[in-house]
Amino acid sequence: MLEVKNLNVFYGNVQILWDVSLEVGEGEIVALVGANGAGKTTLLNAIAGLVPPASGSVTFLGRDLTGAPPNAVVEAGISYLPEGGRLFPDMSVLENLEMGAYLRSSWKQKKERLEKVYDLFPRLKERRKQLAKTLSGGERQMLAMGRCLMANPKLGMFDELSYGLSPKLVKEAFDMLQMLRENGITVFLIEQNVKQSLEIADRAYVLENGRIVLSGSSSELMDSDHVRKAYLGL
Amino acid sequence: MISFINILLNGLLLGGIYAITAVGLSLQYGVARILNIAHGEFIMFSAFITWMLHTTLGINPLLCLAVAGPLMFVLGYLIQKFLYKTLKDKTPSPAAFEGSSMLLAFGLLFVIQNIAVFIWGNNIEGYTFMAYSVYLGDIRLSANRLVILVLAVLICALFYLFLTRTRPGKAIRAASQDPEAAGLMGVEINRMLALCFALGALMAGFAGVLISLAYQLQTTMGMQYTIIAIIVVVLGGLGSIPGSLIGGFLLGIFGSIVSGIEPGLTMAAYYLLFMVLLLVKPSGIFGR
Repeated sequence: MLEVKNLNVFYGNVQILWDVSLEVGEGEIVALVGANGAGKTTLLNAIAGLVPPASGSVTFLGRDLTGAPPNAVVEAGISYLPEGGRLFPDMSVLENLEMGAYLRSSWKQKKERLEKVYDLFPRLKERRKQLAKTLSGGERQMLAMGRCLMANPKLGMFDELSYGLSPKLVKEAFDMLQMLRENGITVFLIEQNVKQSLEIADRAYVLENGRIVLSGSSSELMDSDHVRKAYLGL
Repeated sequence: MISFINILLNGLLLGGIYAITAVGLSLQYGVARILNIAHGEFIMFSAFITWMLHTTLGINPLLCLAVAGPLMFVLGYLIQKFLYKTLKDKTPSPAAFEGSSMLLAFGLLFVIQNIAVFIWGNNIEGYTFMAYSVYLGDIRLSANRLVILVLAVLICALFYLFLTRTRPGKAIRAASQDPEAAGLMGVEINRMLALCFALGALMAGFAGVLISLAYQLQTTMGMQYTIIAIIVVVLGGLGSIPGSLIGGFLLGIFGSIVSGIEPGLTMAAYYLLFMVLLLVKPSGIFGR
């Protein structure tokens, strides 16, 4: 479904990603794990069209998205939830959700999609008139997820869902990912929280210093000595 | 008592002008991060177009809202697309852009002003429109200023509805709060910036038409309105349209009180208020 081939990305003169290749298949949950500063967010930014890659390619459902602007990427069916949710703080819950359906094709269907999101997250319906900045941490998480769903994506990309959340909320966030998959959305997540990501993902890649050093099914990676030593502390 | 009500009413009449003067500047700075020092020149230009159309062709100045407004919109759009966009692409960081865009606006100020002086000269101009009084009980109000107030409030209200109820309006607000996140929703940021600048110019255009209904015009008057707009925007909080409205009326009432004491000191009192605000509450009375 999503295919990244030999991607090289620079910030100024510094090369962040080296020859990164990976694949996400339809219906999968795929995790990309690695330490802070490994280049995980840069990879998502490059796929989402925020950073142009120097070389390599990004293909989604057979469509070339290399260097495409963010709106073309959303249009193609990829929703990106950046770290921290990046809600619009001074807009209401309802308006944040509407912005998720900003594309013209989505805007026409925003009523039906709102119903769907409210079904999944009844709390958002209760809070729909509140400003996003007044929500609790868990509610923000729901809103960010709901806003993603408003675009009716085929693939959702999630950057550090667990970052800064309490253990209970982390669990809820990962449960939401399962729920997305049950609703037919493919999930690509990047995480520092290796253990929990491997528990939920089908497959995973390990990124170190901008290079993919390991890949395989989650159970294979759980058993790998390198992962156990470097990331699981076993 | 009467004089108190008089001062208040005069302040409101003045405040309408101030509010509509500030709304456009607030939008341009709040979203596009361009402190448009040339804002007042757009107002002046629109006012002179109205004056010219009225005095030479006899066109009703109110109809000029439909001419001068859209003309300024197109002008603003082109300026953003060809000048500011190019400048932004060539500027390394957003912070540097805020500085360099202000210098560009300074350049625009002189270009527009000189063109206006070339076309219309440097004399004080004006025309009479609805120059009669209406009475509210014992209080006498000039009809044209009342028309200005009503139209200014109406236009600001419509503009507010546009920003809060429509798809492009919501995109503008989202882009002002987090441009990158708005981009991820599919908002085309560059188009949004051009639209914002053009809308700011449109509001300046409307302000110019309204000002010409009752006030004297001069091709060098732009700076005065830019300063007033900046003070109102600081008073009301950047990027907040209701803030600009309330700020406009507050400044209007303040101005009306000062000019009741000593008319010659009005502008000086505005600057003083501005400086005090910057020192005491730079985020504005209603700012975050």
